[in-house]
Formats: sequence, structure tokens, C-alpha cells
Amino acid sequence: MSMLWYKAWLETRVRFLICLGGITALCAWNVYQTDREITTIVSDAFYSSVLHARHELLVLMWVLAVNLIMMGGLLREKATGAASFTLALPVGRARMAGVRIAVGLIQMLVLIALPWIGMYLAGSAFGRTHSVSQVFFHAGLMAGGGVVYFAIALLAASVVDGEYTAPIAAFGVVLVIASTLSSPGTRTYNPLYFMMGSGFYNGRTALLAGPIPWAQIGIYALIAACLTWGSIKALQARDF
Amino acid sequence: MIPAPVIQTSQLRKAYGKFEAVRGVDLCVEPNRITGFLGANGAGKSTTIKMLLGMVKPTGGGGSVLGRRIDDPGASVEMRRHVAYVSEDKRLYGYMTVAQIIRFTSGFYPDWRKDVERDLLALYELPPDRKIRLLSKGMRTKVALLLALARQPQLLILDEPGDGLDPCGVEQLLESVVARSGDGTSVFFSSHQIAEVERIADNVCILDKGRLILDATMDDLRQSYRQITLAFPELPAESEFQMAGVERIRSNGHQMSLFSSGNTEAVIERARTLHAMSIDVTPVALRDVYLQTVRAR
Repeated sequence: MSMLWYKAWLETRVRFLICLGGITALCAWNVYQTDREITTIVSDAFYSSVLHARHELLVLMWVLAVNLIMMGGLLREKATGAASFTLALPVGRARMAGVRIAVGLIQMLVLIALPWIGMYLAGSAFGRTHSVSQVFFHAGLMAGGGVVYFAIALLAASVVDGEYTAPIAAFGVVLVIASTLSSPGTRTYNPLYFMMGSGFYNGRTALLAGPIPWAQIGIYALIAACLTWGSIKALQARDF
Repeated sequence: MIPAPVIQTSQLRKAYGKFEAVRGVDLCVEPNRITGFLGANGAGKSTTIKMLLGMVKPTGGGGSVLGRRIDDPGASVEMRRHVAYVSEDKRLYGYMTVAQIIRFTSGFYPDWRKDVERDLLALYELPPDRKIRLLSKGMRTKVALLLALARQPQLLILDEPGDGLDPCGVEQLLESVVARSGDGTSVFFSSHQIAEVERIADNVCILDKGRLILDATMDDLRQSYRQITLAFPELPAESEFQMAGVERIRSNGHQMSLFSSGNTEAVIERARTLHAMSIDVTPVALRDVYLQTVRAR
């Protein structure tokens, strides 16, 4: 079992570390640049609005990164000629998929946490203060809605043949969701909108307000669980 | 007591839409032997092997490997603990180094032989720190062979193992396979290279267009199959020789060539009664058996 974790890490580490390093550096650099450009004393609200804008950028990069990281698994191995070797191992397909999902989830959470820690520390270094609870709120929304995109990327990797086709297909689905659920009446259900926290953003204080939307997070988690179940079933039914 | 077959299938079938890749194959592979599995490209060899290992689901029939049903995913996992397999496609994981893929694979098998691993690394001159994707095709084949041979499996399934190897590599491979068989491992060995199979196989199965057209021991083939060349003053009708054991008849001028899988004495007797001027009976190589059997269809 531990060897499957080892394999999943070796398979994704380059993509993961590039995404993690790139996103964290970009977020921290943005905060640093903003601080340099501010010449007068500004209010906390202005600084919070800057962080919120960075968060929106982070969400977009994160969705792209998850598509890239989840590219892999048995179908990609079929395209690269390694699936027969993997499937000859004494391990069931569900267990293989389970380890991949677990590693992907951990990487997904790290990709939320580290950029935010980077932004927080960069801001702190210049004497800017930001509420830790606001950081958690942003991160919570990101993880809550992000599981849907994670599961879409997993499903694409489980049903779409080809070495690079799955992330392209998954990104296409992301665009379809974004354009379908973009009107004021429907965007509340848009996971991307949810992740950005736009529905909870108070323009006057530049803070997220309101209780944590557990019900919506629960629905997104349920959708993600269904998609994940479908992915595992698709892999089990497939001929290689 | 007759030992149980290591591979047994009954009317095994696989169809992709309307195309039938495997059409009712009844295989019986005996333990502690090397069984060659011959067939042209697209004959259904790899599909059959993949069905045996649970990678492809049969559309009909069934079978077992080491006594475990091939259509039961749980039993298949248990079976794969005791089977080493070298796939037709040996590209492996390009992102791992040789050392990493050895570490990864060895973690699944308690019967991993560290001493054999060291010997094969040295014999194949594999660079442990090089990424798989940077290796040549032949080197990747050697890595795949090392991963299969550095264990003590009950059954070794090789799908075109010599593909990409130079003559020295093929020689090392054949020696390894024979040594493994001597240690009690049953070997099921698919190949296009008839000469390789003829050198080491105890049994031969030939698959053509998804059907098993021959399943015999090499000894039987050597004893039974004959090329019979007859010369007549006046050529008789071919129907005179259409009898049991005659697989193929070809007439040319005053000569008639027959390819027989047995019953040679009866053919000679018939030739004499038809006043043959000369009768020449020669044993045949596996290559001839293969070509004649496949062409006869």
C-alpha cells in the first residue's frame, strides 16, 4: 500500500511542486508589490481588498493546477504504455484509485494553505495585519467549492483516453460551468463564484461576512463524492 | 495424481463491438513446463493474456489461473501475487529511475530476491539512477525482465519478451527462462520468434484469428509432423490423399507435397499403391508447422 503512495508522489511531484512554488511565489510577490506601491497610510479595509483580489487570482490558478495535478492514473498510463505493468500488480483498481485520490486531496489542500500562508507572512513582514479567521474563511470556501473541480479533474482522467486530453476536457467543463452559471440568478450555485467568496464579500469592510455556508459545502462535497464514485466505477469497468 | 493446470480456459471469448478478437479458446497450460504461445499480429495473444490477468473482461466463457477465476477481481488480485508478467508494452514509468521502479515493485512481493536483483542489474548493465524514459527500448525491456525475474513466482507470463533485445539479450533471456523453469516456475511465453519458442518450449499453442488451432507438446510435433514429397509417373488426384492427418496437399508437375500431422504410414502406403516413383519423408521444424497450420486455414 505504501508503495502506491510512493508512486503517486513520484508521478505528481514535479507538477505539484511547480504549481505550488509558482502560485505561492506569485501570491507573495503580489502582496509585496502592493506594499511597495502604497505610499500613503492606507486603511485595513484597503489591504483586505487587496488580499481578496489576490484570493480570486489564487482560485483561478488553483483550478488550473488541480487539472494538471490530477492528470494521470490508469488511462494516461494506457496512453503512455505503463498500464499493463500497473494492472499486473497485486492490487485492486479501487485501491489504486483511492491512493491517487488521497494524494491528490492532500496536494489540493496544500495548494490552498501554502499560498495563503505566503500571502499572510509577506503582509506581516511589512507590518500589515489581517485577521486569521478571514484567512480560514477564504481557505474554507476554496476547499469547499474546490472539491467539485477536483472531482471533475479526477472523472476526466478516469474516462477520457489520451496522455493530455483529460486536463483539456476537464478545463472545458470548468469553462462550461463558469459560463452556464454566470447570471446573477444562478451564480450562487457556481462553485468558482463560491470559492472566490464573492457572495460573502462586504464591499465596505472588504471582509467576508456571514456564517460559514456548511449546507452548500455539504452539497458540493456530495457532488464531488458522486463524481469520485463514478470515476472509480468507470475504472473498474474498463478494459485495458 | 495429475497436477492441476496453471492456466485453464473454457470457450474464452472477447469481442470489441462486432469484431471478435478471441473466439472460444480452450487453453490448458500444464505446470512446470515452458509453453510457447504463437500467433501472428492481431491473432489475439495479448488479449488472451490480458484476460488471464484481469485487465480485459471476457465477453464469454471463463477460465482460471493458478486455480483462481479470472473474472473475479478479488481472486485475480490474489492470483497476481504469484504471477510475474512482462507485458508486450514495456515503457514502464518514465518518471521513475531504475532504482525507484525496483524499490516500488519489490514492495509488493514478499518473494523478492535481492540477490537475483543485484545479479540481473549487473548482467543487464542497467544504470540504477537513470530515468526510465531516458533508457533505450532494449534497456527498458531488460528492466521489465528484471522486475519479473527477481521474484519466485509460480507462473511467469511473458508477452513478446524478446522485443527490442539484441541477440545477446535474447540469449540471456532464454537462459533465464530455462533456469526459471528448472526452478519449478511454469512459463507461458508469447512470441513471434518461432526459433526462440522452438529452442526452449516444451509445449506449443498456436492462435490464429482468435482461435486456438494447435495445442501440442514439442515432442509430439517432432514425432508426428512430416513433410512428404511424392513423385509419380502420372500425378493422381489430390483427393486420393485426403485422409486423416493430411493437413495440406500441393501438386506441381509430377510431384506432390503433403504436410501431415500424423498417419504418415498410411500416406506412404497409399502412395505405394498409386505407384509412386519416389517417397521422401522429412521431419519439419516448428516454423513449418506454424506456417502450414496457419496457411491451411
